[in-house]
Amino acid sequence: MPQVIQTQNLSRRFGEGDTLVRAVENVSLTIDSGEFTALIGPSGSGKSTLLHLIGGLDIPHEGSVKLSGVDIASISGAALSDFRRDHIGFIFQSYNLIPVLTAEENIEYVMLLQNVAAGERKTRVSEMLELVGLSGLGHRRPPELSGGQQQRVAVARAMASQPDIILADEPTANLDSKTGATLLDVMRELNQSLGVTFVFSTHDQMIMDRAKRLVHLRDGEIELDELRESVAT
Amino acid sequence: MLTLRLAFRNILRQRRRSILTGLSVGIGYLVCCVAISMSEGSYSNAIRFFTEDTTGHLQVHKKDYLRRPNVHKHFALEDITESLTDVRIAAYSARLFAPGLAYAGDNHAPANIIGVEVETEPLVTRIEEKLTAGKFLPASYEINETMPALVGAGVAELLEVGVGDELILISQGGDGSVANDIFTIVGKIGTRTSGDRHNVYLPLLAAQNFLTLDGRIHEVVVRVNDIHDAIQVATNVQQQLDITATDIVVSPWQTVQASFFRSMESDKRANEISLGIILFIVFIGVLNTVLMSVLERTREFGVLKAIGSRPWTIARLITIETSILAALGLVIGVILSIPLIWWFATTGFDMPEPIDIGGVKMQSMRGEFSLDVFIFPACIVYVYALLVSIFPAVKAARINPVDAMRST
Repeated sequence: MPQVIQTQNLSRRFGEGDTLVRAVENVSLTIDSGEFTALIGPSGSGKSTLLHLIGGLDIPHEGSVKLSGVDIASISGAALSDFRRDHIGFIFQSYNLIPVLTAEENIEYVMLLQNVAAGERKTRVSEMLELVGLSGLGHRRPPELSGGQQQRVAVARAMASQPDIILADEPTANLDSKTGATLLDVMRELNQSLGVTFVFSTHDQMIMDRAKRLVHLRDGEIELDELRESVAT
Repeated sequence: MLTLRLAFRNILRQRRRSILTGLSVGIGYLVCCVAISMSEGSYSNAIRFFTEDTTGHLQVHKKDYLRRPNVHKHFALEDITESLTDVRIAAYSARLFAPGLAYAGDNHAPANIIGVEVETEPLVTRIEEKLTAGKFLPASYEINETMPALVGAGVAELLEVGVGDELILISQGGDGSVANDIFTIVGKIGTRTSGDRHNVYLPLLAAQNFLTLDGRIHEVVVRVNDIHDAIQVATNVQQQLDITATDIVVSPWQTVQASFFRSMESDKRANEISLGIILFIVFIGVLNTVLMSVLERTREFGVLKAIGSRPWTIARLITIETSILAALGLVIGVILSIPLIWWFATTGFDMPEPIDIGGVKMQSMRGEFSLDVFIFPACIVYVYALLVSIFPAVKAARINPVDAMRST
């Protein structure tokens, strides 16, 4: 499988002097296309920071991040925005939908940035809503949806731009276990049927149970990189 | 389109705040419209007053006559008539001037002797309307009779004369001789305080005969169909004259009444600055609203950036939102302004004391109802809207997505 993510000696620090925190330290990691990987570890272990660095939302102090062969540290501004738009889908812990847009419009937004034709956008929005099990709820705005439904919309939004990878930062943290499990099943299904690469930052056992690969982080460093033969279904 | 929808919905998110902001812009706009309307209306009235009273819209003279009037700076009407063919010219009339003294019995008074074309002068000024006694100058008179004259109220008062009385005029003839003759007063004009109080009007032929300036004139007054064309027509006529006649100069009313025009222009500029300051204060409020809105939505901007919005897209969103707020204010302002300015334009109010601007007394305040009154402040509102949106737009565009999404 082609490598979709390559990090080389990646480091990110916050603060200085006595308050210096080494959030990510010398992390070299390779993730292949179609993987369902979880970055796990206790709070402060650096998993969210690593996810942000991989997604081009943060800039490393040292090392490099290659996404689909592109060193994202070498691009900035509008080019970096365009790269994120076309190659990366994000799912956040707090859903982070735009509250004044309907579910359909939230999903459509990234495609609009990509200048996808109106007809194509409409088709993809319908498909995405169906994939995440929200057909018929597209006209609702986020406050009119439950937490689980909002996170499904976030998944659909992340999928709609047809990215190379989807980075999910604690996607189930605000959901009850049943809703979280259903959502994970949706993402797992998307991973298996469409081959979308998922990288999670989590300490949710449900995600760990479903992930094929667990990257254990501690104090910003990779403690263990575990490839699992069997996962929960 | 989605950006526009997003902007609209963001505006509607805080309805009360948006309406209050719109109201402040609307009232600021209203103040500007009223101020401009009153200023333009008052000046229009003043301009109409003096152009219809004496000045006309254009004047034609011998070169340098306006700066240094002289009885010898004369020309023939025939020299310029071929140049007065612009279709925008409604009428024109020739005049002859001379300073003089008027006598009646033991009384005497200074007199501005003005020869006017009896048939055409009423077409360029409202001289006939200013008659307070008697009648206007006759189109013809018997050669053996004393020649007719219209006297200003000031001359009539000093000489203690009325309609039917005789007066003697003394002046300098065009040939250097002393001109003097007896005239019969056929009418009285103006009031003891009006600008024409020392004028004595004679039929042009009589004046030319009296001053030994047969066929000569000092001035041609021109009325155009639309006063706004005055400068263009003056330029056009001047171009024609430059071909056919030398040393003849065409001046629009702006040149003839230069001191008034300068006062008016500087007053307008000062007005515009004041209005600009008022709107600036209004837009500080708008800036506050937009900044608050940006602060409240920091997280959303972070998300928009994270999912691929370019900084410029976010800046544009803020600019569109500010423009919509300004448009809301303009709608409110226009709705409030139209009836108010219509009232000022049609009814207005009289001044307790007349105001003197550049020598022209303005006694009433009337607004002007024209597109310009509404367009200029609208442009200012939009320029300010764009200006005040720059800072919040840049602020939003530069948001760090990770930091922004950490904010509550």
